[in-house]
Amino acid sequence: MSFFDTHLLNVVIYLPLVFAALVLMLPSTEHGQVRAITFVGMLLDLAFGVWAYFRFEPSGAEFQMEYRVPWFQQFGMSYHLGLDGLAASLLLLTVFLGPLVVLASTTYISHRIKEFHLALLVLQTTMLGALASMDVLLFYIFFEAMLIPMYLLVGVWGAEDRRMAAVKFFLYTLVGSLLMLVAIVAVYFVSGAPGVRSFDYGTLYNNLLAANQQLAACTNGPEGACASLTGLAATLHTYGPWMFAAFALAFAIKVPMWPVHTWLPDAHVQAPVAGSMILAGVMLKMGTYGFWRFAIPLFPVAAQAARPFLAVLAVIGIVYGALMCLAQRDIKKLIAYSSVSHLGYCMLGLLAVTSEGATGSAYQMLNHGISTGALFLLFGFLYERRHTRLMSDYGGIAKVMPVFTAAFVIITFSSVAVPGTNGFIGEFLVLMGTFKSTLPLGFGAFATLGVILGAAYMLWMVQKVFFGGITHRENQHLRDMNLREMLTTAPFIVLVAVMGLMPQPFLERIAPSTERYVARASVGAPGATQAKDDQLRVEVMSLPSTAAAARPSVPAAPLAVRE
Amino acid sequence: MDGIVEFFRTAPIPPEVFAPSLGLIILLPLLGAFVCGVFGKWLGRANVHLVACSAIAGAFVLSLMAFWATSDAAGGRVVSMPNAFGLERDVVRYAISYDYGTWFAAGDFRVNFGLLVDHLSGILLLVITGIGFLIHLYSTSYMEHDDGYWRFFAYLNLFVAAMLTLVMADNLVLLFVGWEGVGMASYLLIGFWYTDSAKAWAGRKAFVTNRIGDFAFLIATFLLILTVNAFSQQADPRDYNSAGSSRARYTQGLLEKGPVTFKGLEKMALALPEGTGGAVSLATPIEAGPLAGYTFGGVMTATMLLFLLGAAGKSAQLPLYVWLPDAMAGPTPVSALIHAATMVTAGVYLFCRMSSLLVLSPTAMATIAVVGALTSLLAALIAFAQDDIKKVLAYSTVSQLGIMFMGVGMGVFWAAALHLLTHACFKACLFLGAGSVMHGNGDETDIKKLGGLYKEMKWTHATFLVSTLAITGIIPLSGFFSKDAIFHGVHHNHLHDLHWVSGFVYAMGLLITACTAFYMSRVYLLTFTGKRSPEAKVAHAHESSWFMTLPLVVLAFLSVVTLVYALPLMPRSGGGMQPVFENFLSPVLRPAEAVARAAQTVALDHSTPAFVDYLIAWLVALSGGATAAFLYLKFFPAQVGKPVPAFARAVRRTAHNKFYVDELYEFILIRPVKFVAFILFRVVDALVIDTVLVRGTAYVTEKVGLGLRRLQTGDAQAYAAIMALAILGGAVYALLQVLS
Repeated sequence: MSFFDTHLLNVVIYLPLVFAALVLMLPSTEHGQVRAITFVGMLLDLAFGVWAYFRFEPSGAEFQMEYRVPWFQQFGMSYHLGLDGLAASLLLLTVFLGPLVVLASTTYISHRIKEFHLALLVLQTTMLGALASMDVLLFYIFFEAMLIPMYLLVGVWGAEDRRMAAVKFFLYTLVGSLLMLVAIVAVYFVSGAPGVRSFDYGTLYNNLLAANQQLAACTNGPEGACASLTGLAATLHTYGPWMFAAFALAFAIKVPMWPVHTWLPDAHVQAPVAGSMILAGVMLKMGTYGFWRFAIPLFPVAAQAARPFLAVLAVIGIVYGALMCLAQRDIKKLIAYSSVSHLGYCMLGLLAVTSEGATGSAYQMLNHGISTGALFLLFGFLYERRHTRLMSDYGGIAKVMPVFTAAFVIITFSSVAVPGTNGFIGEFLVLMGTFKSTLPLGFGAFATLGVILGAAYMLWMVQKVFFGGITHRENQHLRDMNLREMLTTAPFIVLVAVMGLMPQPFLERIAPSTERYVARASVGAPGATQAKDDQLRVEVMSLPSTAAAARPSVPAAPLAVRE
Repeated sequence: MDGIVEFFRTAPIPPEVFAPSLGLIILLPLLGAFVCGVFGKWLGRANVHLVACSAIAGAFVLSLMAFWATSDAAGGRVVSMPNAFGLERDVVRYAISYDYGTWFAAGDFRVNFGLLVDHLSGILLLVITGIGFLIHLYSTSYMEHDDGYWRFFAYLNLFVAAMLTLVMADNLVLLFVGWEGVGMASYLLIGFWYTDSAKAWAGRKAFVTNRIGDFAFLIATFLLILTVNAFSQQADPRDYNSAGSSRARYTQGLLEKGPVTFKGLEKMALALPEGTGGAVSLATPIEAGPLAGYTFGGVMTATMLLFLLGAAGKSAQLPLYVWLPDAMAGPTPVSALIHAATMVTAGVYLFCRMSSLLVLSPTAMATIAVVGALTSLLAALIAFAQDDIKKVLAYSTVSQLGIMFMGVGMGVFWAAALHLLTHACFKACLFLGAGSVMHGNGDETDIKKLGGLYKEMKWTHATFLVSTLAITGIIPLSGFFSKDAIFHGVHHNHLHDLHWVSGFVYAMGLLITACTAFYMSRVYLLTFTGKRSPEAKVAHAHESSWFMTLPLVVLAFLSVVTLVYALPLMPRSGGGMQPVFENFLSPVLRPAEAVARAAQTVALDHSTPAFVDYLIAWLVALSGGATAAFLYLKFFPAQVGKPVPAFARAVRRTAHNKFYVDELYEFILIRPVKFVAFILFRVVDALVIDTVLVRGTAYVTEKVGLGLRRLQTGDAQAYAAIMALAILGGAVYALLQVLS
């Protein structure tokens, strides 16, 4: 029983914060040291994150590497961390992007360098914390805390219109998440009698489960059968849809789903390269992750009722996002709208509620982090050289920047999901899951349209930027990528191929989570074969006794032992 | 004689030893692509040539071994592989396969890296690597002045790897990897000279048009997966029995190999016909799942029609053929390899591979045949008026592919595959010949500005003449036999309830033969005979080096000798003789014939063409060639200087402008999509959502705040007054309540 058995997740989450403290102590004129320390911190965090990912045992318990101590017990809170397959995968994505983001910003950021890196490190901690939180309120705290460093990244180091974009981003997301807070508190109050109430995810879910099952039985039963419900089921019948709506709105804004997506293009366009990479790579996934973890399993009946509506929004997002791309002149805006389209696939896969769809959705979350992250990264290099985002200011630069062009084209193929790249696996599984699901065939068919439009807009952009003759004198002497830039890009390209040709190691870790997600989401579905109870119930470690908890800093043995 | 047969029927490497190396056939070109692409710049020209050519040569040798292994009958035991979906004793003869394990799996879906080589994919392996090697060799000379040589060879190797994946895949998803992979390589190669904007656009047009086809391909794949699910739920033992399988084995196969494996689909096809008894037939409605309510036959027709759209994208058929002529922007060896010999025939290959499913749906078959016939005629007509030598050949390719589709649609799969093979030889020869002409004439492509090359480019001329005769269908060249085999089959096969199709398609076929002869003779005559045009770029053409002429000679030779395949030399099982190629492909196509017999959807005819059939076809071809000869040698030269009638000018202009199909698509498809995108962005996104709703909310909040601010004046008297008024109001209200 070593320290890491119990504290590995804590280490992964707070290591960036520790390094932030180190950075804080450095004088702000020491740019090199600030960068180096941040980079080392991120690398170290990557190492621990990878370790955590490999420690995750696909055939083991649902939540692993748990850590739980009492915290604000009066509120029914506890400090509870744990990872399931999806969270582990997204955690891996987050720690993977960390060091690359620092490398990408080396020359891009030229003022307030210390503060910038502080923001990056704090942001990393909040994102990792949100992914590993097993307590709903703790999740909410991290979820909200994420906004602050990101607000600063956009607002301080952004482009010309940064203030507007930052405020828009902040308020937009805040509206949703405040409503979610109300819903969280409401769920807390309805889920149990005074004294046994808890914000813990496992407790909350298990408390609601029986009521949800009753409710599902009567909703799918004869007309008016729900009138005789009592207790929690009756409460959920009346207020469940509202609580679901609050959760769904918060996460839908984060995803972002059509029509609450308009903060995204502005935020992406104005954000510095690091901000765009993290925003696209990780923060958008918090929305889909929230649907997967909270909104749909906690309110399966309401989710079932809203499913056609949400699926329509997802399909609209896919097609609409792609059409928006065709109307853009600004490259960053185009990539931002392509995110709307790609995240539409993630949502559709989730809403299909089939194992193929959900697996594809989870994989697509990772893919989008890789391919869109890389697109923003690469465009960042270009922006540093020319300081313009308009396609018409480029043209023919393949001649002067061949290596850069090759990298960009490879990532483009990943983004349009050419088989053999990672994008294909996700998109294929999502579409197949949609066809297999109980959604009408039209959903799948319309979503497949994205395959055509995706190629159309991405190749159009590539054509405009890279091919043809050089039309601007300024572009004649652009230098190609230097070593640092190549090293930053290389991991993405390697992952594109590895995740495209050997997806199984990644999928294996996602698989147990998908099965449980599908079982939990189908609680509300009519005629669904009732899954076994062990698939449905959330098994988490219980709160250690007060005696042990009095000394939380000492990793006493019982803390980590599953009871 | 027995010794020779024995030699050919004993593979040098025993099949079971060779099978695990099948993956090498793909990996070698892939490795070549990697080395050339990443290190090519430092390796230098000669080394890149060596790496690229030897990768393909190695793949060719391995393909030869694989091909040989599929015909192995050492010790009287024919090579066979176990069929994962059939009973234990049910083996697939004349095939080898190897499964490299799972690619990805989710839920009950799974895809394996499974490779399969049987006679159909074996012969295609030889075509791809053989012709591929010749074209690589040719390219070393053709691209000798280009700085991007390493990129070129990397792309070319990548293409070969993708194409090999396409034909060796034992399931639809892996096939799709090759299917899109060749599209990607084609995109890169068409836009190879990217500094020319038009060429890069042509690449994008090809990719996006192909994507439209892939969209249909994907949906068709999903429908097939759903059908397999429904089938495995509803089938009873009799169904499995009729397919030579059992529920246990079939389920086991699905579990191990996934639902889209060709062998598994074949078993389903065998069980579906009416005559086999059992719970499932074409008319049975699907009970559960997303397809509930539709019949198996109906879904199969829809699936096959979607595959037709997919194949139309890749194989340049109506309505998606428009990318192929533009694809001629790529270097000429690319046009020869990708846009004539291999990639564009992928659609034909797909339907041959899935022949057993296709014959379940006469409607889909008829559609394929008619689409093929219409495309073929349209392309031939456009080819009449094209002056660019590569454009003529491109339209000719579209037209020939249409002929193959006619064959596939009418159930003469073997003849379609044979035409694929012979077409690969003579069309590659024609394209490379065209490339040689361009190379020797300062990149001139306008046939009106060439002429009289027969003296200056002897080898090019001779090989071009041979392949022109082959494509026009002059006895005794291969094109004549393969084309005639298709037309004969088309004429004598009959689709259930759609008998008119045979006659219609056959008549179209004869018309197309005449047209082909006409435009090919025109190209040949204008390019090689007569006097050298005064507008020529260079005064004297020079013959190309042997790197370029050797492939031409080999290909011309091949376009003659492949005729052997069409000769009825092999004994038919029921007595009589059958063409070599039909016999050769019979292990692959036997399930399709069994399905067709049981389902009675298409009556397959196995007669060999009579002398009269040959004579008709030959006369038709001759008449076309003769017309061209008369017009271009006698009539037009005599008309020089005289005014051309307006009618003739209009016809020529229309045909020259490709019947304005591109403009039509631009008008009805591309512009509307762009317009809708623009309107959505400006009106819905920017105005309605962002300005009215989002900023509107902010605006309203701000205004409300501003309004409320006025209330907080800080004036104590005003506050007191309001308080007093409020209390008064309350008192009045209370009084009223009490009084009433």
